Amino acid sequence: MSQDSPPDAAMQSVLPNSVGISLNACIKCNICVSYCPVSEVTDSFPGPKYAAPQSERFREFGYPYFQDPAGSNPPAPGRGRVPDASVDYCSGCRVCNEVCPTGVRIAEINARARALIVAAEGLSLRNRLLGRSDLLGRVGSVAPALANALLHHPLSRRLAAVLFGVAERAPLPRWHNETFSRWLKRTRSRRLRSERKVVYFHGCATQYYEPFVGMAAVLVLEHLGYEVVVPPQSCCGLPLLSNGEFSAAETYHRRNVAQFADYVQAGYPILGASTSCTLTLKEEAPELLDLEGDEGTQALKRNTWDIFEWLRERENQGQLPADLDPLNSGQEPFILPYHAPCQLRAHRIGKPALELLALIPGLDLRESHARCCGIAGTYGLKSEKYQIGMDVGAELFDFVAAQADTSDPAVQGSVSFTACDSETCRWQLEHGAGLPSRHPIELLAASYGLYDLQARQPLNEN
Amino acid sequence: MTDLLIIGAGLTGLFAACTAARAGLNVRVIAQGAGTTHWHAGTIDLLGYLPDGRQPVANWMQALGRLPPAHPYRLLGAASIANALDAFQQLAAAAGLPYERAAASIDSPGPSAPSQPIDREDDSRGHFTDIAPGRNGQLISPVGAGRPVFLAPQAQLAASLEDERPFLIIGFNGMTDFYPALIAENLRRQGRAARSASLPLSRLTSRRDHNTIQLARLLDQPAAQEKLIEMVSEAAASGERIGLPAVLGLKLHTRLLAKLNQASSARDRRKTPPGSPLQPSFSLFEIPTLPPSVPGMRLDASLRAQLTRLRVRVEIGMKVCGVRASGRRIEWIETETGSRPLRHTARNYLLATGGILGGGIRGDRCGRVKETVFDLPLTAPQTRSQWLRPLFLDKRGHPVFQGGVPVDTRFRPLGRDGAPVYDNLWAAGSVLAHTDPIRERSREGIAIATGFAAAHSVAKGQ
Repeated sequence: MSQDSPPDAAMQSVLPNSVGISLNACIKCNICVSYCPVSEVTDSFPGPKYAAPQSERFREFGYPYFQDPAGSNPPAPGRGRVPDASVDYCSGCRVCNEVCPTGVRIAEINARARALIVAAEGLSLRNRLLGRSDLLGRVGSVAPALANALLHHPLSRRLAAVLFGVAERAPLPRWHNETFSRWLKRTRSRRLRSERKVVYFHGCATQYYEPFVGMAAVLVLEHLGYEVVVPPQSCCGLPLLSNGEFSAAETYHRRNVAQFADYVQAGYPILGASTSCTLTLKEEAPELLDLEGDEGTQALKRNTWDIFEWLRERENQGQLPADLDPLNSGQEPFILPYHAPCQLRAHRIGKPALELLALIPGLDLRESHARCCGIAGTYGLKSEKYQIGMDVGAELFDFVAAQADTSDPAVQGSVSFTACDSETCRWQLEHGAGLPSRHPIELLAASYGLYDLQARQPLNEN
Repeated sequence: MTDLLIIGAGLTGLFAACTAARAGLNVRVIAQGAGTTHWHAGTIDLLGYLPDGRQPVANWMQALGRLPPAHPYRLLGAASIANALDAFQQLAAAAGLPYERAAASIDSPGPSAPSQPIDREDDSRGHFTDIAPGRNGQLISPVGAGRPVFLAPQAQLAASLEDERPFLIIGFNGMTDFYPALIAENLRRQGRAARSASLPLSRLTSRRDHNTIQLARLLDQPAAQEKLIEMVSEAAASGERIGLPAVLGLKLHTRLLAKLNQASSARDRRKTPPGSPLQPSFSLFEIPTLPPSVPGMRLDASLRAQLTRLRVRVEIGMKVCGVRASGRRIEWIETETGSRPLRHTARNYLLATGGILGGGIRGDRCGRVKETVFDLPLTAPQTRSQWLRPLFLDKRGHPVFQGGVPVDTRFRPLGRDGAPVYDNLWAAGSVLAHTDPIRERSREGIAIATGFAAAHSVAKGQ
C-alpha cells in the first residue's frame, strides 16, 4: 500500500503498529511465563509478561524511534522513558509468541524496547560487530585460514572475552576456504539450466562459514529439475534487529527488497535454508521496521519460503523424486535427533523437515520437544549471557544424550549426528551435545546420493 | 490423510485426540496457543452449581435432571459421562498422574493407598466401593473457600472439607499470590481448626524472583526436596494436615508428596504419646494457585506425553484464518504463517477452541458475538445490552457466557434450521451452548465428556 504523500513525522510517531497494538490482547494469563526458557534459569530477565505487555504500556507507544514532531533533531528520551535494561536479557527465541493463546507479539515488543535503549544510549562495539555478520564474514573470507587461526587461538579468545565481552567458550564458526558464491562461480558450467527456476537466499552463514549447506540445497533443487538462481544479496538484517540497530537493518532490508524485486515480480519463489533469514524476510523485518505497508516488502514476504516448506509443497503435489536411499549401510538403524529451532517454529508452518526426513528409509527420527537451544542468534555468544544460553540449552542437550544412551537396551543403533534447521543453533548443539550437527537439507542431499554427510561436500564433483 | 484435525489444545482437544487415536484414527491437533489447562486447578469438576442454585451440588448424577434440556450433559446422559470419566482416569493413571474421587478420601481413611491401577474388568463404577456414584467432594480453593470437585489428583485429596482434622496452611515468604493467613482465616470462619505459617524461601533457593513454575522446577531437585521436608517437619504439629501451594514439582511431585507424607507420619509417631491411636498418614495436600497453575501444567504434560506415544502431533502457534466449505463439507482450513496461509486438509474437523476465555468465541464492540473459526451460529445474545446482567456476581450468571454452539446428540454444530451445518464438523468443550462451565464448575467435566463423545462419533462415522 504505497501512499502518494507519506505521513509527516508527527503522525508517524503516534501511528500504532501491529506489534504494539497486540499488547491489548494480553489477559495476563502467565502462559508465556510458564514457558519462557530464559526467566526459568536467571533472575536477570523478569519474564515475558513483565518485560513486554506490562511494561510496554508505559513506553512510547510501540515505536522504536524517538521522533519529535517539533524538530528534525530528536532529543534522547528523558529519564524514565528508556525501557528497563532487563529487557535486553530477552533472547528473542519467541517461545512466548508460540504459546500465547491471545496472539500478543511479545518477542517483537521486546525487540522494539531494546531498540529504544540503543537509540537512547548507543551500542557497544561488540554488539555493533555481532550485528554485522556479513561484514565479519567478508573480512575473514579474504584469508580464511589466517582469520581462523587468529580468531580461534585461545589467546585471542581470552582477549575477545576481556576486551569485548565475547564469551571465551561460546561456539564461534570457522570461515570456509571457499565462499558459496565462489563455489557457484567455479561450478557454473555444471549447474542445471532449466525453464523452472527458484531463487536461493543463502544468508551470511552459508556464504562464509557453511557453503556446503548451500551446495546441498542447490544439488537437491537441481535433482528436482529446478535451476537455482542466486542473485547478489545482502544480510537479512536479523543480527542487527536483535541487537537493536533498526536503522542499519532497514538499509539492508530495503536493499534486499530491491535486489529481489524483479524475481518476485516474475513469480519465482525465494527459498532459504537458513530459517532465521527467511523468517526475517517474511515477518521480522516488516513488523519491526514498520514496513508492513510497503509494497516491495509485502511482495518479498509473500514469495519467501523455508526450503523444506517449499519441498513439502512439491511432495504434496507428487513432485518429489522417490529415489531416497538409506543413510546407513549396515544393520544398525540410523538414529537422528531432530530439533526444530525456535526461529523455524516462529514461521508457524509446522515442522516440514521432520515430515520429509521421515521419507528416508531406515531413518529413526527422534523429535525434540525442547524449547530452545539457548544461543538465540548472537545472545549466547555474549559473556554475560553465555551461561544463560547453556542453561537454557540443557533441556535439548539432555534430550540428545538420552537418544544416544547406549546403556539403555531399548536403544538400538547409534547416534552420529543431530539435525537442526538453523546454523547458530547447530553450532550451539554441537558445543553442548558434543555431536556433529547437520542441516536437514544435507541429510536429504545425502539420501539422494548427491552429498557426503561426513565430509560435508558434494559427491561426484568438487 | 488425516482422519481428524482437532482445533484447540486444551483439555477438550487433547483428550479427544487421545480418544480418537486410540479408536484407530489418524489425528492431528493444531491450536493458536497453549491450552487453558494452564489455568486449571488440575481437578476434574463435574457439576458444582446448578444454573439457579446457591448451594453446591452434592451429587452431580442426581442433579442432571435439573439442568436445561439442551445442556451437553443432558445430551449425553449419566452413563456416557461416567464412561468418559473412566477412560480419563485410566489415561491419567497410565501417564503417572492418578486421579481419584474427591469424595473418596474420607470414606477410605488411613494411608489412602496411592491408587492401585483400577481393575478395568470390574463394572465401570464398581471400584468406587462405598461412595455414592456422582457424589462430589469438597476441596479448598486458593482463598480457603469450599470447592465442589468430583475427581482430584492425588496431591489434592487430603484437602477434603468432609474431614475433621485441623489444617496447617503453609506459604512461603517471597512467593506471590498465595496467602496462607487468609486461607486459614477463611477456614476458621467455616468452623475449621486452622492456622498458618510462612516459611522463608531463602532456605530453598538463592533466587529472588519466584513464580509457581520456577518453584515447582526447583522442587524437582532432590536437594531442595530434602530442605522442604525439613522445613515442613519443623513447622507442623502432631495430627495436623498440611496444605502447601501447588508447587511440589512438575515432574516428580508424587515422589516428593510420598516423602513428605512419610516424614509426617514418622513425626506423628514421635510426637504422639504411646498408646494413642495413630493418625491417618495421608496428611499433606496441595492448594491450587493463581496461574501459572502447576497442577494444570502436569495434566497438560501427561496428555501430551500420551499423544506422543500415540504418534499424534500437536502444533501450536497456529491461528485459523480461512475455511473452505463446499456444500455440507469442510474442504480445508488455513492457518496464519509468517507469509502465505498454510492449508490443512482432513476428513473430519473437531472444534475445541473453548469459550470466550479460550478464544473460541469473541464479542466485538458492536455487540456481535462470533465463533472464531467457522463463524457458526451461536445462541449468544447479539445485542451488547443483553450480554450481561446488572450485577457482576449475579447468581444466575450472564447470558453471554451461556451462549455457544448448539449441537445435535452426535456433537455436530447445528444451523438456524436445527440441522447439522456440516457433515464432517464436530464441536466439544466450552464452545458449546447451553452451559456456563466456569460458573457451573463443570469445565473439565464438559471437556472430558463431550470431547470423548465427539471423538467416538467421528470414529463411528469412519
